[in-house]
Amino acid sequence: MMYKMESLSVIVNGISMGAIYGLIALGLTLIFGIMKIINFAHGALLMLSMMLSYWAWKFTGINPYLLIVIIAPLMFVVGYVTERFFIKPVLDAQKDVREPIAVLLLTAALAIVLENLSLMVFGGDYVMAKTTVTDATLVFGGVTLSAARFYALLIAVVVSGGFYLFLQYSELGRKLRSCGQDRNTASLMGINVPNTYAIAFGIGTALLAVAAITLLPFYYVHPTVGGVFMTKAFIVVVLGGLGSVPGALLGGIIIGLIESIGAQYMTATLTTVIVYAIFLLILFIKPSGLFGSRLEW
Amino acid sequence: MDAVKTKKIGLVVLVVGLALVIPMFVTKPYYLHVITMCLLWAYLASSWNLFCGFAGQLSLGHGVFAATGAYVAVMLFNDYNLSPWIGMFIGAGAAVLLSILIGYPTFKLRGAYYALATVAIGSGAVVLIENTQTLGPFNMGGAEGLIIKLMGNAPAYFQFMTKQPYYYIALIMLIIIVIFAFWLKNSRLGYYLSALKEDPEAAAALGINVRNAKLVAAAYSAFFTAIGGVFYAMLIRYLEPHAIAGPLMSNEMVFLAVVGGTGTVLGPVLGGITLHAISEVIQFYFGHLAQGLHLFIYGLIVVFMIMFKPQGIIEILQKYYNRFLGISDRGEEDNDVKSTSGS
Repeated sequence: MMYKMESLSVIVNGISMGAIYGLIALGLTLIFGIMKIINFAHGALLMLSMMLSYWAWKFTGINPYLLIVIIAPLMFVVGYVTERFFIKPVLDAQKDVREPIAVLLLTAALAIVLENLSLMVFGGDYVMAKTTVTDATLVFGGVTLSAARFYALLIAVVVSGGFYLFLQYSELGRKLRSCGQDRNTASLMGINVPNTYAIAFGIGTALLAVAAITLLPFYYVHPTVGGVFMTKAFIVVVLGGLGSVPGALLGGIIIGLIESIGAQYMTATLTTVIVYAIFLLILFIKPSGLFGSRLEW
Repeated sequence: MDAVKTKKIGLVVLVVGLALVIPMFVTKPYYLHVITMCLLWAYLASSWNLFCGFAGQLSLGHGVFAATGAYVAVMLFNDYNLSPWIGMFIGAGAAVLLSILIGYPTFKLRGAYYALATVAIGSGAVVLIENTQTLGPFNMGGAEGLIIKLMGNAPAYFQFMTKQPYYYIALIMLIIIVIFAFWLKNSRLGYYLSALKEDPEAAAALGINVRNAKLVAAAYSAFFTAIGGVFYAMLIRYLEPHAIAGPLMSNEMVFLAVVGGTGTVLGPVLGGITLHAISEVIQFYFGHLAQGLHLFIYGLIVVFMIMFKPQGIIEILQKYYNRFLGISDRGEEDNDVKSTSGS
């Protein structure tokens, strides 16, 4: 019985960490689905969100979860402006190129800029928002859970679900999806495509801010923290299918489960190698992922 | 056209001549080391460009090939006393095999998916190296890295007490890769590559075996990258998994080539030397002001180059080069330095 409880908590921990991966991947998949851009600055933007949240928490001392209402809109603006001033010009110049690789490189270079900017401004120390949530645990029928991870799971599921409904049923959501399906036709239907792109990038970045805040109470922040999560987000997104919203969450949970269950039987590094191997296998066998459209890749 | 030819030869002689006498004026080991690193990065960016620039593929995992070459050569040297001069070709051979092994499944992937696969391969390789202490009879060092056995002044074992020999070796490597890139670009394979860069389906329809062309070009690229990795190892005398196989190495090659101008013969050379030199100078003079300042500026330069001069530094220099030769901007000599294909 003890053994069963323990393995249950391993599974729940895996799911909650996976849900955060999913939340991070959600922004990536949205940006790819609509703009067909792989955003290599995703990790750096996550780091920026975490840094800003950390310092906002440090100065105000309010509950980190409440910071969502400040950081998410702020990051939306950051994303919107980044798209307008950096990505759009390059995207326009590459209009006729089928695979805009220059944009991918641009985002990778932006990541270097952001990482080193935050190194200059915030310093290279490892910091964490230690609050009452950090060490708290919850007990459900004998299964012990870290409270911060449980809240993260809750927030991730609610936000992903809400975001899915928003994409499916709201006017803006329909606009976004139409640009993803065919930007020329969308443009003919009177949709302002450049503006929609910027909004998509902004929303993707705002979703990152939510993920950043769920990580804040139990994860160390430093200028290169984004790299770890970005590689995972790429894997999650390809696993779930680039551009698919449910795929991102499910892919995240699968990766989280592999990691937490794998950690019981082998070293963490070996698990990482297995995750990479699974990723490559999926790329080779079914690049469209679990939920991706067959036509996309 | 004879005057043009004379001028061209004169320019080449001037540049090579200048490069040959640099160590006579730069005697401080640190400065010579920095200049040697500039040449090495120019060489590595050119190696990346052989495949990725000419064929329009974005590999973000070329560090794997540098690491393969370096580790094979160093392990053979450390444990079996095999001279790195021989070991580097064994390492390069291993990198070629690896490139084919990676190339077969990945070359059917398009654009961004190929880039993602190379990112995963690169990151996976770092984790694997970090967790391998020994490989058969060889010591791999794991996460602590691998220190290269010191032999004193042993030219036969690629070890010198002064910096000058390293400089000249790097210079020779750079000259070789420029000549090779020039040959490749104007070879049948080079035309295949520029065709499949523009449109892979059309190239296949014209009877080009797209995958084979990519495999051969990638093998060349892996070969030269691996040799560069060996040189790096012998110069630094220490192999660190992240530095040699990780994104630092892989991305740097790409950025330098992009800033210089991908798909051209001289672009990556210009980019490698200029951008690396700028980054070193900033670090040297302003590094104490703020941590990360030099990389911040480095990143900004790459961002603005991609935004405003996507064809690279070579696009800026082309005009002056043509003026120097006394031909019009759209002269027939255009092919020489700059790809006419554009994108």
